[in-house]
Amino acid sequence: MDFEFTDDQNSLRDAVARWVEKGFDFPRRHAIAKAGGQTRAVYAELAELGLTGLAVPEAHGGLGFGAIEAMVVMEELGRGLVNAPYAAAALVAPTLLSAAPAAVQAAWLPKIAAAEALVVLAQTERHGRYRLNEVATTATSAAGGWALSGQKSVVPAADEADAFIVSARIRGAAGDKAGIGLFIVDKAAAGVSVKAYPTQDGARAGELLLANAAATLITEDGFGVLEQATDVGIAASCAEAVGAMDKLVALTIEYMNTRKQFGATLASFQSLRHRIADVKMQQELGRSMSYFASLKLGEAPAQRRRALSQAKVQLGTSMRFVGQQCVQLHGGIGVTDEYIGTHYFKRLTMLEMAYGDTMHHLGEVSARMTDSAGVFA
Amino acid sequence: MDLNFTPEELAFRADIHQWVAGNLPKDISHKVLNALRLSQSDMQRWAKILGAKGWLGYHWPTQFGGPGWTSIQRHLFEEECALAGSPRIVPFGPVMVAPVIMAFGTPAQHQRFLPGIASGEVWWSQGYSEPGSGSDLASLKTRADRRGDKYIVNGQKTWTTLGQYGEWIFCLVRTGHEGKPQTGISFLLIDMKSPGITVRPIITMDGEHEVNEVFFDNVEVPAENLIGEENKGWTYAKFLLSHERTGIADVNRSKRELERVKRIAKAEGVYDDARFRDQIALLEVDIVTLEMMVLRVLAAEKSGRQSLDVAGLLKIRGSEIQQRFSELMMLAAGPMSLPYQHEAMEAGWQGEFAGAAVCAPLAGTYFNMRKTTIYGGSNEVQRNIISQTVLGA
Repeated sequence: MDFEFTDDQNSLRDAVARWVEKGFDFPRRHAIAKAGGQTRAVYAELAELGLTGLAVPEAHGGLGFGAIEAMVVMEELGRGLVNAPYAAAALVAPTLLSAAPAAVQAAWLPKIAAAEALVVLAQTERHGRYRLNEVATTATSAAGGWALSGQKSVVPAADEADAFIVSARIRGAAGDKAGIGLFIVDKAAAGVSVKAYPTQDGARAGELLLANAAATLITEDGFGVLEQATDVGIAASCAEAVGAMDKLVALTIEYMNTRKQFGATLASFQSLRHRIADVKMQQELGRSMSYFASLKLGEAPAQRRRALSQAKVQLGTSMRFVGQQCVQLHGGIGVTDEYIGTHYFKRLTMLEMAYGDTMHHLGEVSARMTDSAGVFA
Repeated sequence: MDLNFTPEELAFRADIHQWVAGNLPKDISHKVLNALRLSQSDMQRWAKILGAKGWLGYHWPTQFGGPGWTSIQRHLFEEECALAGSPRIVPFGPVMVAPVIMAFGTPAQHQRFLPGIASGEVWWSQGYSEPGSGSDLASLKTRADRRGDKYIVNGQKTWTTLGQYGEWIFCLVRTGHEGKPQTGISFLLIDMKSPGITVRPIITMDGEHEVNEVFFDNVEVPAENLIGEENKGWTYAKFLLSHERTGIADVNRSKRELERVKRIAKAEGVYDDARFRDQIALLEVDIVTLEMMVLRVLAAEKSGRQSLDVAGLLKIRGSEIQQRFSELMMLAAGPMSLPYQHEAMEAGWQGEFAGAAVCAPLAGTYFNMRKTTIYGGSNEVQRNIISQTVLGA
């Protein structure tokens, strides 16, 4: 039982924090968001730090690091409000590719590690919400390969990506867990088009339209690894939220200790003091379950699935509460576009919906309940 | 980062598991697992079984006859006891006063008081709160005036839990009347058989006799019963509060009660009702989260490398969870939780109303659990303390 970080993990954290401090201040972030949320240049800087190869096996030119290192990086990216698609491209995509044939891994993983290729999961469909099995996009076997047709929604960094990992139905009815394949689709392939847009939290996403687009098969039986990769995404969004909450709470405390009304600092009013105590509660509950999420990623699928949904319920609750209350504690300044805290709130709001929101995962926990529960159940 | 117990810790847990299974009387665990009324003899029987094994003072250091366990071992012991349905150890002796006697008492006091606490022979009570001093404990007025080699104690304590069985009581008393209220308080051990002491029951809203008022009318207490120095009692009381950091979360018992919530919900036919089931799922998430937080504190304590100052958070969260599970159990029984009969809380009672055995204790437990957010420093006082730490002001 140990919840401390190793010296190497602390060094990794420091490296990311130093880059944020030197190279990713709020004016730069704000300017990127105002310009539409393009972050490929930012992603390249993360690559220079070696971060894009973090989860890629050493055999494919990566660092082969584990879940805790990913958590450390995500916490710092959250603290720095970094709007590059790091979790999607550097953590989720390599997990999906772990199910691919060796040749496909060899073709893509080194490029992902070097950030020469930005590859993201295209999973969400218009009415699929967070259900990984709701796949209407079709895959048909054609001479010498596969062809995909359908539409994927809110694909992260869609117009900046080089390729997409697409879930598509090979057989079975809509909603079946069996018969879902995973494919890589090159953005330059015929039949691929993207309609991109900025997101609420200063990044970028888009609709991916596939019309008989040529695709490379990762696996014909993709649901299991899709769940696994989604769990990696959950853990990443939990950790990012922890970093973002830490910073937002720090900003709020600073504000409460300086802003005066009725001749006294906000920090002197008991109603506000109790509110910040409740914020602290949600922050620490969230941190505890972010650790839990990353520590449970290596468990067997049933245990991992339940644990990650439990974690996302807590983190979803925490990030919504902390975000809303910190805005309220700021008063008017907390709703302005020029104030940094506002943007943490917006990011936290969108993170609650990343890889399944609180209600979705509560449903998952509810469906998976057994007679006893606990950290080790 | 590592979420595993060591092989030694797992072996330790297995040993404890086996020992508890072999030594916890079944009639007692039946009552605990079904929230039936425990008698004094039930509680003391279990205390003496633990005492004979040397585990009643399970967090005592070896120099005082304790097992010298690590924070993790203590946690595993608590968990095995809780899940098996052992009664809560009545904390006033082994958990609360004993560490104060060890830290601030004289060797003579160690000799005199610790053996009876360790064996479970002597029942201790706590005399802190007063009618005018609840959350504002330092304003207490019960006075102890020095007369030669005695103190003369006058005043009133209240909310004295299980004080009707008490043989000794440790009290905070006022010995100084100048300066800040905290500076004039002393820590005094009082024999409850002393002339001038009257214990009167307070019946709580569940109809139970759990707490008492204790009146002191010119009670003579030998001066040798003073712990430490006169007027330093507040410091000792704070030491006591800081001693037990994770126990107040009571997460192990909540895990057990979550299992009971599920059993009751199944029996009452609401487990598959999505609206009800989601409430249980939320409670499950809260309990897993609380357990993680407790484990973080325990791991920090064991490593000694960092301290994690979240005691107030654990108290708030733990107590809210206790209230929630009692609420859900009652709501699961629904209309069947309405009938009230005092005898229905006794083991073996064969009631004449429907659902008696399962449903009879539920509303009572719910009423009883309202105390948890009030005692031990109300949750609002905890928020005051947390905000002070968070805001640094």
